[in-house]
Amino acid sequence: MTPEFIDELEQRIGSEAVVRDQSELLTYESDGLVSHRSRPGVAVLPRTVEQVRAVVRACHEAGVPFVARGQGTGLSGGALPHPDGVLIVMTRMNRVVEIDIPNERITVEPGVMNLEVTRQVAPHGYYYAPDPSSQVICSIGGNLAENSGGAHCLKYGFTVHHVLGAEAVMPDGTLVHVGGVAVDSPGLDLLGVLVGSEGTLAVVTKVMLRLLRRPESVRTLLAAFDSTDDAGNAVSDVIAAGIIPAAIEMMDRTTIRAAEAAVQPGFPDAEAVLIVELDGHEAEVAAQFEQIEAIFAKNQGWGVQVARDDAQRGRIWMGRKAAFAAMGRVSPSYYVQDGVIPRSRLPEVLRRIRQLEQDSGLTIGNVFHAGDGNLHPLVCYDDAVEGQAELAERVASEILSYCLDVGGSLTGEHGIGADKACHMPKMFGDDDLATMQLVRVAFDPEGLCNPDKLFPTPRLCGEVPGPYRAHPAEAAGLVERV
Amino acid sequence: MHDAEGRRTGAAADAVDGVVPRWVAEPASQEGVARTLAQAGADGHAVLVQGGGTKLGWGPRLELIDVLLKTGRLNEVVAHRYGDLTATTQSGITLAETNERLSAHRQWLALDPPDRARATVGGILATNDAGPHRHRHGAPRDLIIGMTLVRADGVTAQSGGIVVKNVAGYDVARLLTGSFGSLGVIVDATFKLAPLAEASSTVVVELPDAKVAVGYAVDLLSRGSTPAALEIATDPLRVVLKFESLESVTEAQAEEAMTLAETHGGLGQLLEVDAQNEFWTAHERRVFADDGTLLKAVVLPADLPSSLSWLDEAAASRGLSYVLAGQAALSVLHLRLTGPVEKQAALVSEWRERLTLGRGSVVVRRATAELKALTDVWGSVGDTFEVMREVKRRFDPRATLNPGRGPGGL
Repeated sequence: MTPEFIDELEQRIGSEAVVRDQSELLTYESDGLVSHRSRPGVAVLPRTVEQVRAVVRACHEAGVPFVARGQGTGLSGGALPHPDGVLIVMTRMNRVVEIDIPNERITVEPGVMNLEVTRQVAPHGYYYAPDPSSQVICSIGGNLAENSGGAHCLKYGFTVHHVLGAEAVMPDGTLVHVGGVAVDSPGLDLLGVLVGSEGTLAVVTKVMLRLLRRPESVRTLLAAFDSTDDAGNAVSDVIAAGIIPAAIEMMDRTTIRAAEAAVQPGFPDAEAVLIVELDGHEAEVAAQFEQIEAIFAKNQGWGVQVARDDAQRGRIWMGRKAAFAAMGRVSPSYYVQDGVIPRSRLPEVLRRIRQLEQDSGLTIGNVFHAGDGNLHPLVCYDDAVEGQAELAERVASEILSYCLDVGGSLTGEHGIGADKACHMPKMFGDDDLATMQLVRVAFDPEGLCNPDKLFPTPRLCGEVPGPYRAHPAEAAGLVERV
Repeated sequence: MHDAEGRRTGAAADAVDGVVPRWVAEPASQEGVARTLAQAGADGHAVLVQGGGTKLGWGPRLELIDVLLKTGRLNEVVAHRYGDLTATTQSGITLAETNERLSAHRQWLALDPPDRARATVGGILATNDAGPHRHRHGAPRDLIIGMTLVRADGVTAQSGGIVVKNVAGYDVARLLTGSFGSLGVIVDATFKLAPLAEASSTVVVELPDAKVAVGYAVDLLSRGSTPAALEIATDPLRVVLKFESLESVTEAQAEEAMTLAETHGGLGQLLEVDAQNEFWTAHERRVFADDGTLLKAVVLPADLPSSLSWLDEAAASRGLSYVLAGQAALSVLHLRLTGPVEKQAALVSEWRERLTLGRGSVVVRRATAELKALTDVWGSVGDTFEVMREVKRRFDPRATLNPGRGPGGL
């Protein structure tokens, strides 16, 4: 990064929007995956789409790579800066552009927080469905890049199901409007591929979202089980009964104890708990609730807690969402994994994880979005013990291979980013990856937009990823992990 | 004459839009599709892909078809993972056959576009075609979780997988969905499924005008009603609701819809359980079965009443008649238009002028060659067209696949 290029940026967008001081740049050296660090050549904080275009055009002209960053809560290093590139920090582009209740739409800039969208429309009886656990602090732009999920994807889908359109700056600085506010737009579904592209195709500057009406009725219940097999069978029985709850979450003994130690949600001391949430029409919710109680009883569920009110519902969810951060109570460090399996294979994969726990001697806590088979194993270790961090990393990778063995995925919601790019060939063949590259080069022929992410490269894959460490915001209790 | 890929010379019966293909290939395997495309590429031949042939009249007219690639022999359900609520099918199987097989475990691929007995999974994906259940379950692009495709150069690639939650890599399957065969040939696809409901109830409410009809639908939804389908249709103007759930629930919801209809001045009718299938078949056929131009129009929900009254006047003043059915809450409308062709073209162009880009669109689906010559079937696709063209160029540099028929004329 030459000083002349930084001068050029200052000239184009004003020095107030450019961070060139080396110590200030340290703030941006990682996202939520703090084991990967890299200080950007320069950071810019645009307030307008014209400033974004000016920066991208300058990069395009000079052949300088650029990385867009939202709130930096991502867990796969998707916003890891390029040491010789520009980091485009989108946090100042945080205006709510239009709230359109009659059409059930909202248009926001990418820096708006996920939960802020719901706050804006809640008085009208609406909400924004995708609810990653970091929703207090993560931004919509990052959600779009990662195709973020959350606990309620089982029924409501992911970000891609709720984004109708986006304004984006192409890697050559051209401004395009993908999709719109109507449900369909003629043409190729570029939006479908832009969402979840981890910032490698364009820089999004405006997002049109679909809003949902608050359901008439919401009921949340929790039950304890003496084995994860029983809990897994209960999940299968719910699905087999033709019920699609809003959420089905599972926690095992390790994570239950950690959550109890941290936030005292009053969970039973058991091998597993299931949290099920039903929502919708009053009569339907009531009828399905009875079915689920019967399914739990049949699978030896006990200690059933039914949320009487919003406060109790909130307490149950707090226990669930605190599970990651709470692991700090039982282990000095932990490595968080994100993998997916077909939900029917849950018992067998859990047994393999248990065996791995015994063989490795490391404690592995498990929290899952059980309804959609998204596992979040937490591999506990102690940095002070020689070699244990590396062992934890290997154990976490081993769990990923279990996921792939049963036809699952490397990631359900955290993304590939810098973290798992080298794992991609385990899931996709050369031709599959080459086909994805066709998309990439159609958008970004020079490869300047968030390079070295998502795709495996020899340079990248020579390096060994490090273990998980708490993000500063997480350590301070500001965010929790899904 | 047949070779290993089921290749033979085209006959009059194979004609598409009156154009007889030089060759017809009907490969029986993924490898056969790959060989067919590699060969066509080497020969510099253009390939048109055909599933059930129900939507071949859609899109711009082709002047020349070298190879017509039929997917009809790829007609298996590859896997039904009912415990996971997913299934993988080959692309040439019909939707009706697919759902017949999936019903063994009381599940279905929750799509109900027209002509399901003939329309194939691959064709429905290629056109992202959907029906009334789109209200609850979404369009094909919302349900697809994985795909195997053969590129124009004969290379086979996978996208996605078999799990419902998966963010590994670009969602190429979604990009191909709705691409009208312009980027690759779909050989199999994996979907998330829905459970078949225990019971259903259908309520038909006749209402005096579009404003009242939309007002009724909005009011019903705001009261917590959760229909699986919410249609608006002419003629007479009506809102049609289908509830799917446990029997006690569908009865209760139907009752609520009937009661609310009265307060909006509507005349509600709760169909007998056995009469429902016949009703829904007729509902579909009124728009899709007869001759005429098929249009798909998408507007914003708040613009639906004014769009419908404008349409009424615009058609009447031009001596055109139409039948319409569509998803009210999504404001996706399907119309069958009849009358003088130049008047139809004028109506399409005036309607497009009323719609700002991104806030609505009118696409001509099925039309006569005469109308296709008078109007751009796609309309403007906006400032992303260059990107689309570049995607097409990268996937299919020699313009082998469905040349000119893809969105925007790709």
